[in-house]
Parts: sequence; structure tokens; C-alpha cells
Amino acid sequence: MVENRPFLSFLTHLVLIAGVLIVVFPVYLAFVASTHADGEFLSGLVPLLPGPNLVENYWHMLTVGISTAGAPPLWIMLTNSLIIAICIAVGKIIISLLSAYAIVFFKFPFRLLAFWIIFITLMLPVEVRIIPTFKVVADLGLLNSYVGLTLPLIASATATFLFRQFFLTIPDELMEAARVDGAGPLKFFRDILLPLSRTNIAALFVILFIYGWVQYLWPLLVTTDSRYYTVVMGIKRLAATADGEPQWHLVMAAVMLAMLPPVLVVIFMQRLFVKGLVETEK
Amino acid sequence: MATINLVDLKKNYGPVPAVKGINLSVADGELIVLVGPSGCGKSTLLRMVAGLESVTSGRIEIGGRDVVRAEPAERDIAMVFQNYALYPHMSVRQNLEYGLKNRGTPREEIDRRVREAADILEIGPMLDRKPRQLSGGQRQRVAMGRAIVREPAAFLFDEPLSNLDAKLRVQMRVEIRKLQRRLKTTSLYVTHDQLEAMTLADRLVVMNGGLVEQIGTPVEVYDRPATLFVAGFIGSPPMNLISVEGLASAGQSLPLPRGTDIVGIRPDELTLDAPAGAHVALPGTVELLEPIGGESHLHVMLGNGQTVILSVPGRPDIAEGAAVTVHAEHAQMHPFSKETGRRTDAVANP
Repeated sequence: MVENRPFLSFLTHLVLIAGVLIVVFPVYLAFVASTHADGEFLSGLVPLLPGPNLVENYWHMLTVGISTAGAPPLWIMLTNSLIIAICIAVGKIIISLLSAYAIVFFKFPFRLLAFWIIFITLMLPVEVRIIPTFKVVADLGLLNSYVGLTLPLIASATATFLFRQFFLTIPDELMEAARVDGAGPLKFFRDILLPLSRTNIAALFVILFIYGWVQYLWPLLVTTDSRYYTVVMGIKRLAATADGEPQWHLVMAAVMLAMLPPVLVVIFMQRLFVKGLVETEK
Repeated sequence: MATINLVDLKKNYGPVPAVKGINLSVADGELIVLVGPSGCGKSTLLRMVAGLESVTSGRIEIGGRDVVRAEPAERDIAMVFQNYALYPHMSVRQNLEYGLKNRGTPREEIDRRVREAADILEIGPMLDRKPRQLSGGQRQRVAMGRAIVREPAAFLFDEPLSNLDAKLRVQMRVEIRKLQRRLKTTSLYVTHDQLEAMTLADRLVVMNGGLVEQIGTPVEVYDRPATLFVAGFIGSPPMNLISVEGLASAGQSLPLPRGTDIVGIRPDELTLDAPAGAHVALPGTVELLEPIGGESHLHVMLGNGQTVILSVPGRPDIAEGAAVTVHAEHAQMHPFSKETGRRTDAVANP
């Protein structure tokens, strides 16, 4: 590594601090804005220090919301987002674990073809296939439902690919030992493969939870009933008022609350997350 | 406790034959070592017996029961793998218990067997550790423990010692031998290490190219190799194989069975001093002297350009390049036919 020279470490720290400031400053501004009273921003000046209205703003947002914007109270949207993010993350993990298991451990005709077809779907993000997908979901009568919000997003080539790569590193002898020990395919999956994939599952959960949480376009399309609004798309509606100034202090409170769950997930699963990315338990 | 019978067992990978028809009867409690160079089909054979590899044709009987269609778990065998194949996320105890639990063995019975196996292998203090916290030798013990607790009809060992360092390998080899004597469980053991093969086996099966070259006790195989391949494979340094023309060109002739064109002589049967009995004398020059402690290996180039190796006791005072005469007694020579690759004085050996 680089030698320990005071000037160099000063420089590296400077760069890092500058980077952090650039990333954090907008978030800080949002926080500051969420603590001031209505009308503080009409002057065009944004205060740099937090104001006194923190609890009031957040409480108002959570329980009442901005009724003029046609959005429900924030707690409903947060709950919706939570349900959807968890469903997507868990669903994706289950489906990709099972498909990776099939692809790696079973010999069946067109196995590779199946893998490549899954892999090719990586090139088709939600946005590209959004109109046909919408048509299908609409025809199935799944608009304005949790199933409609989550199901089209669940199939995941990325996760399947990651699990496949991990399964390939598991020695064949382990499976053979399990066969000799009387473990059938399902038992092997449950008793040996799942525990070994624990850290990978945790890492993927973090990534996929955030993926689900930040979904914007799809929820916007399939929900018209405000009971199914998610928080990320909801913010857009909050800010878009037909006439008059958006109530920035409340919008920013919503933004802060929307940011909270992904941050918590990352903080609490960070250890497992890093482990899952760098370490193979063998 | 069981016998194992292999009847005309064959295995093809697509059009490529890997095992070309093996017949073998393993007696109850016997330890059979399958030995041969890599790619000779010995591991494939073992995996077929284990049920991990499908059988193209032939029969496998374990304890008199045909098991060709049976799942590995139904064959009443236990296998020890080369890289141990311990379940990394389970403690040693869980590793030992796993197979028994899957069979629905009662709790007290599991505990008793685990305790016994731990006593035999002296792994009691490690029962609650994870495999990654163990050394190679300890992992190997656990792998054997996992086989022992099953109390199977047969043990199958797939090169179990090849991941260990040399010193540990010798130690574990002795332990496997003692263990097998004590438990008297029928065992098949695959290795490419001939020292392991010689020391462990009740009977040795030397394989080459998917076929059995010779079956016999280690001493039989060493003393009377049935084929040229066995002669060259078993023994270290390997048997010297000298062409009969080479002998003739040195002015030596001796009574040999019809069709003999190669004679084999073990390095330790070659001497520099003329022996008492009928012998041949071959002049040559010393190419290389390798002292290996208690004995030395002498590489001598004969008149016809062929090199033979002598193993002589101590450290002889011979310079490289010196002219010597190598002697071999008639009685110690193994006559082979180059064409068939077999002994020409074979009587009963198949």
C-alpha cells in the first residue's frame, strides 16, 4: 500500500470529506427544511439551521398528510412501500434461489438454454416492457392491488445469476455426501444449501429491498386508488400542487421519512451485507 | 458386515468406456485397495458402488442384494471423500448426526453412536466446533467419524489421504488400518499412492485403462506381477524391464519360457557383486548416484543404451562415470511377453 505520509493522508481525507459533503448537503437541506414552519421559504432564502417545528411537521405528515394533493396520510404510503419492498425482495430471493438450484444441481435437457433465457431478460428492464406488462396486469384485473404492484417485478435475472455463481462454488462432493447421508434434493436444499447461502441472501435482501422501495414508474402506472400509493411516487404528488406554493416543509418531512427505512436496512444489515459480498463460507 | 460382488461391471461416458467390465468379490471384513494411475477408472468404479455414478451394465451386490437401482442412501454404505465434504455450517456433532437423523434413528441411539465414534477417533473435545476450525487431520477424522456412526455394511474411501501432508498421511494410514481391523467392516479404498496401497490392503486390485490388471495380496502382486503394467507400477523405484536382445547383446543367455522378450528385475535384486547362483552379468557405466539415506539408487547405463536402477545398501564408494558390472540371478527374473504384456511363466494367475 501507499506509504504513510502526512500530506498524502491529509489530501485523501480532504477528498473524502469533500465527497461526503457533496452527498450529504442536499439531505441536510431537506432535513432543515422539514423542521421549519409553513411560509419560511416564501422569501426565497433557505435557512441553514434547523427550526422548531420538527415534531409538528412529521406528526402532521404521518397522520394527516396533504389532503389537497390527493395523497393519503404518510403512514399508509409507508406501509404500502414496506409491504411491496418486502414482497419483492422475498419473492425475488425465493424464485431465484429455486431457479439457480435447478440450473446448477439438476441435469435436464435445455438447462443451459433456460439459463440463457433468464440471463437475457437482464437486458429488458421494467421500463422497456412496461406497456405490455401493464396490459397483462390490467387484463388480469390486478390494477390497484399488492399483487399487481409486486408480481411483475419479482422475476430476477440478477439474483438468479448471483446464486448460480455461488452454487457453482459448492463442491459436488458436498452434495454427494448428503446423498449418501440420505438427504433428498429438497432436504439438501433446506439443510445445506440454504444455510450456506445465508450471507448471500442477506446481501441480496438489502439490494432488493431498496430496489423495491425506490420503484417509481410502475406504482405510478398501476395505482389510481390512493390506498395503494407508495411513498416514493406519493412525494411527487405532494410536490405537484396546481396553484400556490408547495408546502415544502411537509414535503421534505415526507422525503426524510421515505429515506429512513432503506437507511435502517443498510445500517442493520451492513455487517451481513459486506460479508455476503466478499466472503464465501467454506 | 457384508460381502460386495461386482459382476461384469461396465461404465461408458457417451461412447467412451471408462470401466470395461470388472469382476470382483470382496469378502466380509476385507479391505480391498483399488490402485492405478489417474484415469484408470478406479474412482468411477468406487462411485458406481456408492451409487453416485450410474451403471451402464453389470451387477453390484452388497450383502447379497443387487443395488444397481438403489439410491446411495439405500445401499447401506458410508463414503469418505478426498476433500472430506464436511458440511461447513454444521458443528462436528451435527455432521456426525446428520445421516442418522435422516434415517430416523432414535435420539439415544444417535448419542451413543456419536459418543463411541468420538472415543474411537479421539475427537470428543471438538464435537462443538465447526469444520473450518479444525486442522486437515482432524477434518479427516471427522469424515471417518461420519462413516463410522452409520455402522454401514461397507466403507468406501475415495483417496481420503491425498489432501494431507506427508507426515500426517502416514499417521492416518496407520489409523485407518487399525480402525478397519477393529471394526471389521468390508472396505473399498481407492488410491493412486502405491505405498498406501501396499500397506493397507488385504488384497490389491491394480487397474489400468478401465480393466483389472491383477488382483492379489500386496505380497503376491509385488513378488509375481502378472503383467508388464503391474511390474512397472508397483514398487519404487519401479522394476527394471530389460529386453532379451539387450541381454543377448551383452553375451548373456538364460533359460526363459517361450515368447519371453522382456525380463523384469527389481532394483534391490540387482547386485554389483556376483551372486552364488546362476546369474547374468551386464557391463555398464554409472550415470547417477542418488543417496537416499539408508540406501542408494544407482543408475547404470547398460551396453545397449538402456538404463537400469539398482538399489544398494549404504553409500557405495563409486564415482559417476565408473564402469561396473551389474549382476542378476536367474531366479529373480520375471519373464514377460511384450506382445501380450503378460508373464510368460504364468500358471494360475489370471
